[in-house]
Amino acid sequence: MSNWSAALELGGLDIDSAFRDTVFAQLRESFGRMNSSMSTATPLQHAFEKRVADVKAPKSDINALILDYLTMEGYPKAAAKFCKEANLQPQQPDLSIQARQDIQHAIHSGNIETAISALNGLDPELLDNDPELHFSLLRLQLVELIRQCNEGDITPALDFATKKLAPRAATNRDFLNDLEKTMALIIFPHDQLQPELAALLSSDLRRTTATKVNEAVLLRQNQRREAAIRQLVRMRAWAETSARSKKKDLPESIELGLNADDMEFGESGHEPMITT
Amino acid sequence: MTNPYQQHQHSSSSFAAGDALASGGLPPLHSLRRPSYASVLSGNTSPIARPDRSGISHILNPSPDSEQQASARNPQSTAQSHRFEPTMPYTHMGVSGEDVSALNQAMNVGSPWPPRLGSSFPYFSRAFDLYMRKETLLPADHAGLEDVRIPSTTPVPNVTDTGFLSPSYLRGSNYLQKLEEQHRARLLAERDSKHPKGAPPAVISVRPSSNGTSSHMPVVGAKASGATHRGVAYDVVEKPLSPAEDDDEVSPLPSRWSREDKEDALEVLADGYEVRHTGRTAGDHEASAVRADHSISPACGVYYFEITVLNTRIDKLKTPPIAIGFASKSASISRAPGWETDSWGYHGDDGNSFASQNVGKPYAEMFGVGDTVGCLINFRLNHALFTKNGRDLGIAFKDIPFKDVKGKLYPVVGLKKKEDHIMTNFGQRPFMFDIDGYMKRQQAMIEDDIRRADTSRLEPGLSETDLIQQLVLQFLQHDGYVETARAFAEELHTEKLALRLDPREQVRDVSVRDDEDARNRQRIRRAVLEGDMDHAMKHTNACYPTVLRDNEQVYFRLRCRKFIEMIRREAELNTLLEEERRGAARKQQQQQQRGEGESGDEEMVEAAAAVENGNGFGEDMDMTMAEDVNGNNGNGNGASVTDAAAGLTKLSQEALEYGMELRAEFSTDPRRETAKQLDEIFSLIAYPNPMKVKEVRHLVDGSGRVAVAEELNSAILMSLGKSSRAALESVYSQTCVLLEDLRQDGGDGAFVTVDSVIAGIPPASVR
Repeated sequence: MSNWSAALELGGLDIDSAFRDTVFAQLRESFGRMNSSMSTATPLQHAFEKRVADVKAPKSDINALILDYLTMEGYPKAAAKFCKEANLQPQQPDLSIQARQDIQHAIHSGNIETAISALNGLDPELLDNDPELHFSLLRLQLVELIRQCNEGDITPALDFATKKLAPRAATNRDFLNDLEKTMALIIFPHDQLQPELAALLSSDLRRTTATKVNEAVLLRQNQRREAAIRQLVRMRAWAETSARSKKKDLPESIELGLNADDMEFGESGHEPMITT
Repeated sequence: MTNPYQQHQHSSSSFAAGDALASGGLPPLHSLRRPSYASVLSGNTSPIARPDRSGISHILNPSPDSEQQASARNPQSTAQSHRFEPTMPYTHMGVSGEDVSALNQAMNVGSPWPPRLGSSFPYFSRAFDLYMRKETLLPADHAGLEDVRIPSTTPVPNVTDTGFLSPSYLRGSNYLQKLEEQHRARLLAERDSKHPKGAPPAVISVRPSSNGTSSHMPVVGAKASGATHRGVAYDVVEKPLSPAEDDDEVSPLPSRWSREDKEDALEVLADGYEVRHTGRTAGDHEASAVRADHSISPACGVYYFEITVLNTRIDKLKTPPIAIGFASKSASISRAPGWETDSWGYHGDDGNSFASQNVGKPYAEMFGVGDTVGCLINFRLNHALFTKNGRDLGIAFKDIPFKDVKGKLYPVVGLKKKEDHIMTNFGQRPFMFDIDGYMKRQQAMIEDDIRRADTSRLEPGLSETDLIQQLVLQFLQHDGYVETARAFAEELHTEKLALRLDPREQVRDVSVRDDEDARNRQRIRRAVLEGDMDHAMKHTNACYPTVLRDNEQVYFRLRCRKFIEMIRREAELNTLLEEERRGAARKQQQQQQRGEGESGDEEMVEAAAAVENGNGFGEDMDMTMAEDVNGNNGNGNGASVTDAAAGLTKLSQEALEYGMELRAEFSTDPRRETAKQLDEIFSLIAYPNPMKVKEVRHLVDGSGRVAVAEELNSAILMSLGKSSRAALESVYSQTCVLLEDLRQDGGDGAFVTVDSVIAGIPPASVR
C-alpha cells in the first residue's frame, strides 16, 4: 500500500484531492479484499478486526461446541464420525442420540402418531407432565390430517379434533384459541389463507414442534435445553446490536466469513461448497 | 440544612498509645501474611484483657441494660455461636497453613453461601470470632492445634492462601478472571525473583531444566490441558511485569481500609478490616472518614461491601453517627460520605441518604450497634442502594452514571465519635445480603435479552437453524473433518426430505465438495492424531512442500512431538513389560505354592526384585540408572519379556539418538522458547513412565497431538491462501471482542462471558 501511495504521490501527476481520494479508496478496498481472505493484519483493517484477529478461539472449545451441537440436535452419524476424527469422547451414547433423532424425523415427516408412541416409549411420563407439549403434538397431528384431506373427506380430521383435542381445549384458553385457528383450515381453501393460518401449513410448524419435543426430552435427561452454539450465535447477535446502540467504534459490517472460502473457488471455477 | 453529626466533646483519650502505634505505624497491607491476628490476640490491646472498652466483652458479658437490647436484636452469646459453628469452619485461627489452603480451595469451588439461614440471626456474629475462636470455634480435630498461632495465612473463606480476594458474586466474571491472571503473574514474578533461573524446582530433582514450565502447545488461559502442573497455567502470562506500562492492568478490588487515606482520628485495625475512632481530633472535624485501599472498578458491573457496627461503649446512642458510602479521592476525608462533591452516603443516626450535598433525604431506617449495613453500586443500571441486616432498603441514588464520575470511586466510611468502631466485609467472607442472588438476577436479565436476540441479520437470508447448520458444515469442511462433514450433510439432506410437504418437490443434495485439499489435510491430521509424525511430515512435504519450510515453528513442534511419541511408546512398552513380569512372578508363586518348583525360588526373587525396581523408580533416579534397569531385563522371564525388553532397549536407544539429533539441529536457534522446550521434552527421558507422573503427564498425553494437528492444519490453510479461521471461530472471537467493549464501563458485558457458554457443555475429554 505504501508503495502505491508513494508512487502516486511521486508520480508528479497533478490530480485534485477528491480524485486522489477516490483512487485511494478503491485501492484500499481491493487491498482490503485481498488481505481479508489471507487474514493478515494490515494497517487498513479496522481496529476491531485487528482485535478479533488477536483473540484465538481455542480449538478445544470449538470442537466441544460442534460435538455438543451434533449431539443435542440429533445428528448421530455425524456425532460419531466427529468423535473419531477429532479424537473426542462422545457426549452421549449413540443410541440416545438416535432415539431423539428418530422422534424428530417422525415429526419432520408428519408422522405424529409414530412420534408420540416413540416418545412414550422413551420417556412415558414426559407427555403426561407436559400438557402443553402434548397439545402441540396433537394439534400438529390435526394439521397433518387436514393437509391430507384437502378438498376431500374431512371426517377423519373432524373426528380427531372432537375426540382428542376438544377435551383438552376445554381446560385451557390458549389451547382453545389454537384449536379454533386450526379448525379454520378446514373451512377456508388453503390457497386463500391469511398469513397467520398459512403458517400452520408450512413445514416450520413441524420443525418448531420437533425442536420443542427434542428440548423437552433433553431437559429431562440432562437439564440442558439447547445446544451451546445457539447461545453463542445469539450472544454474537445481541452483542453487536448492543455495541452499536452504545455507539462503540465498529466497522460498518462484521462479516462472519461463511463464504470466505467459497469466493476464491467461485472465481477459479470450482463448484460452490454447499448446494442446498 | 442539617448536619446529622452532633458536635461531640471528646473525653481525654484513654487508650494506650501503643495501640495506635501498632496499627498506625505499619505500612499498608498488600499481603495477608502479616501476623496481625496473632498480635491482636496476644498483645495488650486485646479487648478481652480490657473489658472496660471492649465491645466484644461488653456483648459477651453484657450489662443488664444492653443485654436486653442485644438479645432483642439478636440473641448473641457464646453458646449460640457454637450452634453456628458448622457453617463457619474457616473463620478461626489455629489451622495449619496447609489446611487453610485446602479449605480455601474448597471454598472457591464450592457453591456460594446460602443466602439466609431462615432466621434473623445475622452472620455478623463472625465479627466476633476473632475474639472467641480460642475457646469456641475450633473443631474437635484441631483441638490440639489451638495454641499454635500461625500468622502466615488468614483463614478467610474467599481469600486464597496466596492472598487473592475472590468475592463469591464476582466469580466467573471476566473482571475477576483478569484480576486473577494479574495476581498469578505477580506471584510468578515473585517466585522468579526468589528462585534464580537454573535452580531446579523442588518437586523433581532430575529435571535438567529450570522451571520447565512452558507447554508444547498453545496454552489458552487456565483451561489448558494438563494445567495440573502449576507452571503450565502460569507460564501463559509470561511477559515483562511492569504494571505501569500495561494498559490492560485492571484495578484490584478494594480489600482493606487504607492506613494513609484516612482522617487522623481513625485507626485501622484487624488486618485492615476494622476502623475505630480514637477520639483524638485535631480540630473541628465534622466527621472522620477513611477510604479503601483500591478504587472500585466499574468493570465489575456490580460492587458491594458491608460494614458491621461494633460500637462498644455503653452509650445512650444506639444509632451512632456512622455513615457508609463511596466517594472519589477529591472528597475530603474530614467530612462524612455524602456531604462532598462526588461522594454518596447513608447515615446511621438519621437514616438519611446524602448525594453529594449537606442536605439529606429521608431514605430508610437508622442503623446502629450490631447492625450490618451494605452498600451496592450497580454500574449497569446507574444506581446505588443500601442493605441492612441482609435486607434491600431500596434504591438510594438513581440515574447517576457512576462510571462517568471523574476520578475513581472508593468505599468510604465516616465515623464521628470516640469508640465508634466498625468491621468490614470486602467480600472476603460471605455477605449477609444475598448478593449472589442479586448478581444472578442481573445476569438473568441479560441472558433473557440474549435469548430473544434476533439472529436473522447475522447472515441475511438464513434463519437461526439454517445459519447454525451452515456454520457447523463450513467448520467441518474448513478444518478437514471430511467424514463428519459428509455424514452431517447426509443427515441434513434426510431432514430436508422429511420436511418437504409435497413429495414431488425437488430437494437438492446437500453436497460436500470433494476437495482434494480437504482429503490431504484429513490424512495429515489423522497421522498426527495417531502419533505418526514421520508420516505426517512426509505427507505434508509431498502435498504442500512449502509449508514446513515456511513455518519453522510448526516444523519444530512436529519434530519435538516425534520425540515425545518415542518416549510414549517406550513408556507403553514399559508398562506392558511390567505387567508381564508381574504375571510371570505370579505364575511362579503359584507353582511354588503347589510345591513343584524349588528351583523357581531364585528366579522368583529375582523377578520380584525386578518388579520392585520397576515400580520404585524414584523421582530422583537419574538417567543412567534408568538405562541400567532397562539393560538388566534379560533375566529369562520368558521369551516374550526378553523380546520386549530388547525392544525397549532399542527404543530407548533410538529415542536418545533422535533426541541428540534434534538438539543438534536446533542448537543454533537463538530463541529462548526453543531451548526451553527442548529441555522440557528431554527431561522426559528421566522418567521410566512419564505417563504416570503427574508433573509431566501433560507433555505426553494425547492432547498434545491435537494441538500439533491444529497448528499444522492452520499452516496448510494459510499456505493455500485460505482463511485460517472458519466462520464459527470468527463468531467466537468477534463475540469475545464485542463483549469486551460492552464491559469496559460495567455495562451488560460485565455480566456474561463466552466462557460461560462453553462451560455449559458437558465435558468431552480427549482420549
